[in-house]
Amino acid sequence: MSPAPVLVVGGGPAGLAAAAHLAAVGHAVDLVELRPALGGAYHRRPIPGVTPRPIGAESETRWARLVAGIDHPAIRVRLRTGFLGIDGAGCALLDDRTAGRVEAARPAAVVVATGALERVRPRPGWELPGVTTAGGLQVMMKETGRIPEGRILLAGSGPLLVALAGQMIAAGRPPIAVVETGDPLRRPLAGFGLLPHPARLVEALGHLGRIVAAGVPWLRATALETIAAEGDALRVELRDRRERRRTLFADHVALHDGIRPNDRGFPEPSVSAADRPFVAHAGDCREVLGVAAAEIDGARVGAEVAAILAGTSTTASKALARLAAERRVQAVLTRLFAPAIPPTPIAALPRETVLCRCEGRSVGDLAELLDGSDAPGGREIKLSGRFAMGVCQGRFCAHWVAEAAATLRPEATAPTAGDLIGRRWPARPVSIDAVIASADRSDTSPSPER
Amino acid sequence: MSAKTFPWNGVPIAFRDGETIAAALANAGVRTLGRDPAGRVARYFCGIGACQNCLVRVDGRVVEACLTPAVEGVPVESAGEPTEAAP
Repeated sequence: MSPAPVLVVGGGPAGLAAAAHLAAVGHAVDLVELRPALGGAYHRRPIPGVTPRPIGAESETRWARLVAGIDHPAIRVRLRTGFLGIDGAGCALLDDRTAGRVEAARPAAVVVATGALERVRPRPGWELPGVTTAGGLQVMMKETGRIPEGRILLAGSGPLLVALAGQMIAAGRPPIAVVETGDPLRRPLAGFGLLPHPARLVEALGHLGRIVAAGVPWLRATALETIAAEGDALRVELRDRRERRRTLFADHVALHDGIRPNDRGFPEPSVSAADRPFVAHAGDCREVLGVAAAEIDGARVGAEVAAILAGTSTTASKALARLAAERRVQAVLTRLFAPAIPPTPIAALPRETVLCRCEGRSVGDLAELLDGSDAPGGREIKLSGRFAMGVCQGRFCAHWVAEAAATLRPEATAPTAGDLIGRRWPARPVSIDAVIASADRSDTSPSPER
Repeated sequence: MSAKTFPWNGVPIAFRDGETIAAALANAGVRTLGRDPAGRVARYFCGIGACQNCLVRVDGRVVEACLTPAVEGVPVESAGEPTEAAP
C-alpha cells in the first residue's frame, strides 16, 4: 500500500475503471476531470433535468458498472480540475478551476486517461464560426438535449458521422446530408468482420436504418472541399469520385476525419518501474480502440500501476485478448471507411487555407517560410513561423504542418507533430492568476521551468 | 425555459443549471464570440477545451466557454478587443 495517492487524469471509462481498480486494492485515488461532470465523450451526462438519450443495454450496463466502481471512500473526485503536467521537481500540477488556483501534488503514480481528439483536415473555411467538429456538436446534444437551430451538414469520414446522424434523426432533427469520403457500401465483405461483434453490428445497422428511413442523403465517396460564408449561411462545395461538383447551403457544418489519442503535451509513459511518479497511459489516449476497450484498458492499467507500486508484477493476458478483439473491430471500421476519394494533400490546398486555427497562419505562410535556401527545422517552423505556437499548442495543426513540410521540402528531415508540440508543462493553457494564487500558498507552489 | 440569465457583453442570455456558457450562447443563436486574445474571431469548435477557439472572459479571467458553467448574473465578455461583430 502506498501512502501517496495515485492521480487519475480523466473521468471517462478508462479513468473510472483505473480509479476503481486502484481503490479496490487499497490505494487512495485523486480522480480529476476538466469538465463539470464525469462521463467522457461516449458517456457524456446530460445537465440536470435533461433525460439521457437511450444508448443500448450494453452501454447502460457499462455506465452503471463504472459509476458503482468509483463509489469508494478512497476515491476523491475533483471536477473542473485540469492536469497541467509534471514539473521539474516531480510535482503533478493541477489547475483547480473552481478555486481558481494551481496546486502541486506528489502522487505515487499518474494514470493519464484523457481519451481521444478528433482529426479534422484543414479545408478552406474550416475556421469560420458555425463550423465545429462532429464531437463538438455531440457534446452540446448530449449535455443540453438540444440541437442548434438551422440546417446542419455532417462531413468528413468515419463511423462517428453515421452515429451522430442517427442520434440527430432520433431526436427529430435530421442533418441535411452526411458527406463521407469513404464508401462503406462498396466494401460489404469488410463488414462481415463485425459479425463476431453483434452488439456493434446492431448499433451500426440501427443508425444506418434511421438514415435511410429518414431520407437523409448519405453522400459517399464525396469530399467537402471548401466552406465560405455567404450572408448568414455557409456555402459548401462538394466533389465526388467522378469529379462531379455540387453546392449545399447550411447553417452549421460539423467536420470529422477520425480520431487520434489525446496524448500530446502530457508526460510520456514511464519506461522504468522505479520512476516516481510512475506514469501510465490508459484507454483511447494510449490507443484509440473505443469505449468498450477503454474500460478494459483502464482496469488493466490500474492493476499494472498497483503492481508496480507494490514492487510485484501482473499478468493481463485476459485483458490483452479482449483488447485485441476490439482492435480487430477498429480494423474492420478502418477498412470500411477507407477513403474512396483521395484527400487533397495539405501542401496542395489553396494558399489562403488556414492551417493554424489559433493565429490564422496559412498554407501560403508555410510555403513562404520553407522557400528559403536553408530548410528550417521543426523548432524554427514553430518559433519563426508560429505554427503550433498558438494557445491550442498545435493540437489541431501540428500533424498537418508536419505533413505539408515533408511535401514542400522533401529533401529535408521533416519535423514530426511531436517535435512541433513538445512535451513540456503546462499541457494546457493556465491562467496566470491561478499560478499566482498557487505561489501565494508556498506549501503547494509549483516550480516553473519556463 | 429557465429564468436564470447571465450578461453576455451586456445582453442577458438565458441558461439552465449545469449548462456551459458555450451551450447557452449557442442556444441564444450567438455564433461569433467577439475577438479572442490573439485577435481572431472566437467561436465554438471542439467542445472539449482542446482547440481554445471559444475563449471568453469571466470575472477578468480568460476561460474556455465550452468548459465553463454559466452562473447567474456573472458577466461574460469577449476575451479580446471589442468588435462590431460581437452581438
